[in-house]
Amino acid sequence: MRLLLLLPTVTYRTVAFVEAARRLGIEVTVASERPSTFERANPTGLVTLDFADPAHAAAQARAFARAHPVHGVVAVDDDTAVVAAAIAQELGLRGNPVAAARAARDKHQQRQLLAAAGVAVPRFELLPIAADPERVAGRAAYPCVLKPLRLSASRGVVRADDPPGFVAAFRRVQAILEQPDVAGCGEWARHVLVEEFVPGREVAVEGLVMRGSVRVLTIFDKPDPLDGPFFEETIYLTPSRLARTAQQAIAVCAQAAVDALGLREGPIHAEIRHNDRGAWLIELAARPIGGRCSGALRFGAGGSGLGAGVSLEEIIIRHALGMELPTLDREEQASGVMMIPVPGAGVLRDVRGVVEARAVPLVEEVAITAHPGQTLVPWPEGSRYPGFILARGESSEAVEAALRAAHARLEFLIEPAD
Amino acid sequence: MSAADVRITAEPIDNGRCKFLVSEPLHAGGVRRFASPDEARGSPLAEAIFAVPGADVSEVIVSGNLVTVVKRSPAAWPVVGKAVGQAIRAALASGQPAVTSKPAASPEAGAAPVDDALYERVADLFESQVNPMVARHGGRVELIDVQDAVVMVRMAGGCQGCGMADVTLRQGIEAMLHQHVPEVKGIVDITDHTAGSNPYFAAAKK
Repeated sequence: MRLLLLLPTVTYRTVAFVEAARRLGIEVTVASERPSTFERANPTGLVTLDFADPAHAAAQARAFARAHPVHGVVAVDDDTAVVAAAIAQELGLRGNPVAAARAARDKHQQRQLLAAAGVAVPRFELLPIAADPERVAGRAAYPCVLKPLRLSASRGVVRADDPPGFVAAFRRVQAILEQPDVAGCGEWARHVLVEEFVPGREVAVEGLVMRGSVRVLTIFDKPDPLDGPFFEETIYLTPSRLARTAQQAIAVCAQAAVDALGLREGPIHAEIRHNDRGAWLIELAARPIGGRCSGALRFGAGGSGLGAGVSLEEIIIRHALGMELPTLDREEQASGVMMIPVPGAGVLRDVRGVVEARAVPLVEEVAITAHPGQTLVPWPEGSRYPGFILARGESSEAVEAALRAAHARLEFLIEPAD
Repeated sequence: MSAADVRITAEPIDNGRCKFLVSEPLHAGGVRRFASPDEARGSPLAEAIFAVPGADVSEVIVSGNLVTVVKRSPAAWPVVGKAVGQAIRAALASGQPAVTSKPAASPEAGAAPVDDALYERVADLFESQVNPMVARHGGRVELIDVQDAVVMVRMAGGCQGCGMADVTLRQGIEAMLHQHVPEVKGIVDITDHTAGSNPYFAAAKK
């Protein structure tokens, strides 16, 4: 049984997915957008696909599959989710319709479909980056949020509370969209989505869609308020401390969004806000949680055999291949992850206190993913966390305290960039 | 060539491990690993490094123009590194082989000869095929040891901290080992990837 694993070369998810596939003992072909130096040496295990052109990638996958039959395809991020859908359609594999994957990828298209289906979403308006923000600012409703249509990790997402703030935010998002790594990415980079700011508690929903039905795997609370002006994530905690009725409303909202987009199979990651008016779909992606955050998820009760301490990645791979699924109930322990905030702008020289942070009770891992010499860029221009802290314990409160204590022990030595 | 002409670059991996890149080759006969002063006997460079005062060196690996030193003491590398650099320069200046070739294993030694034989074959594979491939991305893969048919490697350069290092390890190196040295039972990456300062692919997105 062969899995085609779509791994962009810049993903954090490589180890989690590759090792999960190894544990399952399946054949794996890793597809990336740039060639591995081992591709000639292992032509069945490595292949290069044109991730920028899903239809072309599907044709390439078709050619590959003639010699090496493929039984499942898994994407790990927003871009490859569309590629995976195209490949699944081409090869007749389990996956999402391409149109649904595309709609989930584009925040404006997503908003349109959700609004048309009656899903609670913020009011929104699409503006070209060539627009005059001075003119638009006068008719905008405040507070509002400006965001690019596709950038990940809340890069370029800025709140504005009044017309001067709108103009400043617009100019800032405009500058991000004009950066070389963004400007050439397509028509979407020439637009800004302006939407109503929705107050309330934000959660992240991890789900697995099976034949169009969402199985909520977990709801992560985000204890730090995400009220802007920028939206850098910090802590995710599960189980959620929200009331059962609120959690039910959130699950209903996620299902309604999946229905509206037409997603059929595979993982979803949704950002949903809950307030006294109910659950509001902020964004939904047809991919699993990003970064190293999936380390906070473990399914089953331990011991041995199918369903014991299974990772999210293993569940996703099993589902893609049509293999038997273990229990989809999360472990009993509380767990959490902190995406370490960018401590400042500049060149990272060293991180001190890692040993001390790892020694904090309940902390399981302190992963510094930024490398010495890397330029750290704060939000909203940046989108790369310098690392992740993971913890497990008896309660969400204890886990949250451990994450904060570990973070307090870290010291980042940063020099000004040239 | 005078000792002053030799350029040595120290690349500490962590406080316990440091690589020394030397402008001149030290050992052309594959990888030599010394895990004790006894094993180093007869190899002047390794003997000298084990004798560095206050370092409590536990391992010396010599391959081509690369020397990897593992120490137990908390002494800082800038201090220990000067003595290691002197040992390297002295070995090159002597005109004698810095390290001897690996001796043939005695048949009475149990499992070790099997690992030794595997080590040589894996080292040859790394030298002839693996490292030329990863070098195209500025990487290096260092064979550290073979124990019970499990290969231990350390990745460096563009591989260290690279977002695709695990793909290189599993889909590249391990696959080649299966093909060329099928007796190998596994591969372990002991790299400190957090210390990679120049990864070829840096993780950047969700």
